[in-house]
Amino acid sequence: MSNPKHDKGEHYLTTPKAEPFLERLIFNNRALILIAFAVLTLFLGYNAIKIQPDASFERMIPLEHPYIVNMLEHRDDLENLGNFVRIAVEAKEGDIFTQEYMETLKQITDEVFYLDGVDRSGLKSLWTSNVRWVEVTEQGFQGGTVIPDNYDGSRDSLERLRQNVLRSNEVGRLISDNFRSTIVYAPLYEKNPETGEALDYGEFSRQLEEKIREKYEAQNPNIKIHIVGFAKKVGDLIEGIGSIAWFAGITIVLTTLLLFWYSRSIAGTLVPVFTSIIAVFLQLGTLRLMGYGLDPYSVLVPFLVFAIGISHGVQIVNAMAVEAAKGFDSVTAARLAFRALYIPGMLALISDAFGFLTLIFIEIDVIRDLAVAAGIGVAFVILTNLVLHVLIMSYIGISQSGIRHVQNHGEKQDRKWRVMSYFAHPGVAPISLLIAVIGLGLGLYYKQNLKIGDLDRGAPELRADSRYNKDNAYIIDNYSTSADVLVVMVKTPKEQCTQYNVLRAMDALQWELQNTPGVQSSVSLADVSKMVTKALNEGNWKWYEISRNQTIINASIREAPAGLINTDCSLTPVLVFLEDHKAETLETVVERVEEFASANSTEEHRFLLAAGNSGVEAATNEVISSAKDKMLLLVYGVVSLLCFVTFRSIRAVLCIVIPLGLTSVLGEAIMAVSGIGIKVATLPVIALGVGIGVDYGIYIYSKLEKYLLEGKPLQEAYYETLRSTGKAVMFTGVTLGLGVVTWIFSPIKFQADMGFLLFFMFLWNMVGAIWLLPALARFLLRPDQMLAKARAAK
Amino acid sequence: MANRLMCKTMGVACLGLAMAWSAPAAFALADVIETPARPTDLAPENLLNDATRTGDRIVAVGERGHIIYSDDEGKTWVQGEVPVSVTLTGIDFGSETHGWAVGHSGVVLHTEDAGATWSLQLDGIRAAEMAIESREDQIAAIEKRIEEAPESEKSDLEWALDDLYFALENLRADLDVGPVNPLLDVWFENDSHGFVVGAYGMFLRTTDGGETWVDWAPRIENRQNFHLNGITRVTGGALVVVGEAGQIHVSVDGGETFQRRESPYEGSLFGVIGTGQVNEILAFGLRGNMLFSTDLGKSWRMIPNSAGATLNNGAVAEDGRITLVGNGGAVLLSTDGAETFRENFRSDRDGVMSVVPISGTDLLLVGEGGVKITDARGKNLQ
Repeated sequence: MSNPKHDKGEHYLTTPKAEPFLERLIFNNRALILIAFAVLTLFLGYNAIKIQPDASFERMIPLEHPYIVNMLEHRDDLENLGNFVRIAVEAKEGDIFTQEYMETLKQITDEVFYLDGVDRSGLKSLWTSNVRWVEVTEQGFQGGTVIPDNYDGSRDSLERLRQNVLRSNEVGRLISDNFRSTIVYAPLYEKNPETGEALDYGEFSRQLEEKIREKYEAQNPNIKIHIVGFAKKVGDLIEGIGSIAWFAGITIVLTTLLLFWYSRSIAGTLVPVFTSIIAVFLQLGTLRLMGYGLDPYSVLVPFLVFAIGISHGVQIVNAMAVEAAKGFDSVTAARLAFRALYIPGMLALISDAFGFLTLIFIEIDVIRDLAVAAGIGVAFVILTNLVLHVLIMSYIGISQSGIRHVQNHGEKQDRKWRVMSYFAHPGVAPISLLIAVIGLGLGLYYKQNLKIGDLDRGAPELRADSRYNKDNAYIIDNYSTSADVLVVMVKTPKEQCTQYNVLRAMDALQWELQNTPGVQSSVSLADVSKMVTKALNEGNWKWYEISRNQTIINASIREAPAGLINTDCSLTPVLVFLEDHKAETLETVVERVEEFASANSTEEHRFLLAAGNSGVEAATNEVISSAKDKMLLLVYGVVSLLCFVTFRSIRAVLCIVIPLGLTSVLGEAIMAVSGIGIKVATLPVIALGVGIGVDYGIYIYSKLEKYLLEGKPLQEAYYETLRSTGKAVMFTGVTLGLGVVTWIFSPIKFQADMGFLLFFMFLWNMVGAIWLLPALARFLLRPDQMLAKARAAK
Repeated sequence: MANRLMCKTMGVACLGLAMAWSAPAAFALADVIETPARPTDLAPENLLNDATRTGDRIVAVGERGHIIYSDDEGKTWVQGEVPVSVTLTGIDFGSETHGWAVGHSGVVLHTEDAGATWSLQLDGIRAAEMAIESREDQIAAIEKRIEEAPESEKSDLEWALDDLYFALENLRADLDVGPVNPLLDVWFENDSHGFVVGAYGMFLRTTDGGETWVDWAPRIENRQNFHLNGITRVTGGALVVVGEAGQIHVSVDGGETFQRRESPYEGSLFGVIGTGQVNEILAFGLRGNMLFSTDLGKSWRMIPNSAGATLNNGAVAEDGRITLVGNGGAVLLSTDGAETFRENFRSDRDGVMSVVPISGTDLLLVGEGGVKITDARGKNLQ
């Protein structure tokens, strides 16, 4: 019954008569190919080293979403609305009305004034002259700077300061409600108006740390500094990317140790590590040549590429050791290993690549970049693993200790494999299936709570206990302010943005929204107009209304903040402050705005969504939730198709894909339970999990099929499968898991989330392939028919 | 996409909305005086300008057409049905069930069920038309008098005529824009007789429960059309109107005629109350200025205080305590019949617009931040 061709590792799909063409091509030109690799590696490696970090905001948002289109179209009009930092200076003991505190605050204000990137005219603190108190008198207004004239730090002048603060209308904004801290508010330039250079967020953030936080906390031990703002957050993210280098180092060391433990052969350890690192260099170099940089998402791809390289390299080392143990010389062993592995290896890698490429359909650039980067990486892994790796090994060979290890270890393990082969036993398989069904049920139950978007308070990119988020919590707790802002843009004809009807419509929208759950408050020109109209009428609240008289409106908004009105008065924003950025909150609010906009937009005023961090999040959530199912369908479709093309059997496809589906469901359940939402960072994980996870199934099924076609009964065939590839498959799962597990310690929250989820999916897919696949095979496969069909094909 | 979102929430209404979307003949929002106040839980926490008691009920008015009432001394509130969404400024009841509220766009609202439902009786357009008519009548009358008057009186009359023409032009210009000016206070004697006062000297009277109104502005001496901010009746029956530029007008014949009183203060007076003693008037306004008279305004005494905050309104409790409230959280208390006041400031510094004494010495304040239940010094209870 035994088929000699199969004993040599040849696959039945290839022409049975000749050595595979590819094998001849590669093994007949070994030196030439190696030289070509060396040249390519030098060239691309040089480029890889020069790749730059690139944390562009725009790449992280769905540029094609109408909200974002609107936002970018009006970006210049809204420019200084959102880009500022707030530095809260807290007095640890006592309150702000002390000479020491005020002196430190003064120095900090001066220091911030001179920081590069600060729009000095907009700088605000108790010490700047634009912070004033105003009082209505019989003659009109009277007022002055909050810092009293002739301030000298005496008790008397501090008392006058206290009175001015109370009259200033800045409590809750610039001065905390409990008078224990005040804010230095610094609007920033996106581009330096003198040099035209873009603001360097990393550098700006570093300066805030060195020149403000460290310096003044050291100088005055009674103060504590809290800094928030988009620029600071981006600065902290950039700093976070740096820690990736450490993770890379740790991953390589751990993987190398593991590999040596596995192969007990220096060559069998170093060659896969070496070729995988080369794959990483080739990938990074190509990315740079294509004009990409490294962002906080794509910086993770090299880890995947490395891990995939190692895990497939293991298959080759394993196969070579097995062949060498049969007494073949190293070239023949390499040939046989290649012959045995190039189909499943290529199939596995191609499905990895396709898994990644399905991400291209998500209209967010970072995800597309991730797809491209990972796709390129896997393409190179195909080359480095199946060609470079095999060729190097054909020169070096596996050491005798490695071969012995395979032999001894193999024999020792046989009993274990024997036990595990019972997964295919007709008595055990139904139990496995039952457990799988229960697991699926539980998974489906828990995954109902799976949310779209970011769920944590504060800046979701960073950890809840990061310095930034602690600062943010402090400011939210002590000031009347929210970090989640949705901006509705109101577009009017030129010079018409202050018309009564416009203000009236904005006011109506605001009231509608303030009556919407999740909305904390809102601000627009309408509020300014009402407030100032009241003030102009001697501070009488009975006048708190939008006047129908345009002259009064014009007077009321003369001093309106710059961000609330663009230069030609054709755009004015409504700022809506939200309680949080949960997806439901955003969805509800956005729905209300859409309803209002479609009912009330006219030629005079069109309501456009959306800007502000919440606007971007709302758009992102929409893209993600509509892309999620599409992506799952695609990635499963592609993987199933590839499996079908290879194995020509629906039953085979089901055996391989069902365990993946279980993992996907459980993965989503875990996300729901651990409070990780579906977002830019975690959506790709689902595709990566399936794309890479299918490898195990492919390796196992291809062996299982082989042994079944040799006429072995299922459990026996599975035992042989485990003997030949089980260890490599398990090792693959562990290496892949190891490749991503270090991310869990990343200061960047979404990297940690990705690491955690990928770790789970890689390991659990491995378990699924080893445990569930044979149980499914027991029910789905018809070995008799398979044999008959194979014979007929000859 | 908008459609998809809407359909999700609206369910069956989806079809209609989809049609509205495909034909975006977007309609502008209706005018604020045609837009009913939105039912909302937020009314008790937002700006309220006036509050009053009718029977066991307290009723308050505020921004966006909010009228809310409470039958449990301010603990819980119900929102009345109001056909407009303008900022309302004043409220008064002529009887337990019949009440009137006034506000921006010159609106007068009427209730016959103690505040649950309201109807619009008058708006600023009608009010302005009446004012224009009566100015025209006045002009005709003065022109006639100038013809007949002796030379020595002519120049005074011509000045008056100029003022009238100026006022008329302003009224016409305003009317072109719409109902621009707010009414600021209201007082009703019973279910039929009452007055409303407002910006730029608006002053109207009804004797048929608001069915018809008569422009009463010509009956007072306010040639420059300064704002009239407050109206009340003091113990003894005299009516008092106060306003901008220290105006104080007193009527001792139920409002048929008013005499302007000399005021020791030139600034704005925002409110006036009686003290519970016959013929005593307490008027107050900008920067804590407080004027006290025991003889219907023939003579005045400034009551010194250092609050410095504008005072908006006041109330006399059954035990005679007088409380005045104002901007910056000012709550001023007199236990000696307005001889002296003790000043307190609420910690939130929110402007207080009106006060209603409730059980014991406790107060119900309304203002910038809505309703607050406080002790006699304005400190929050609970």
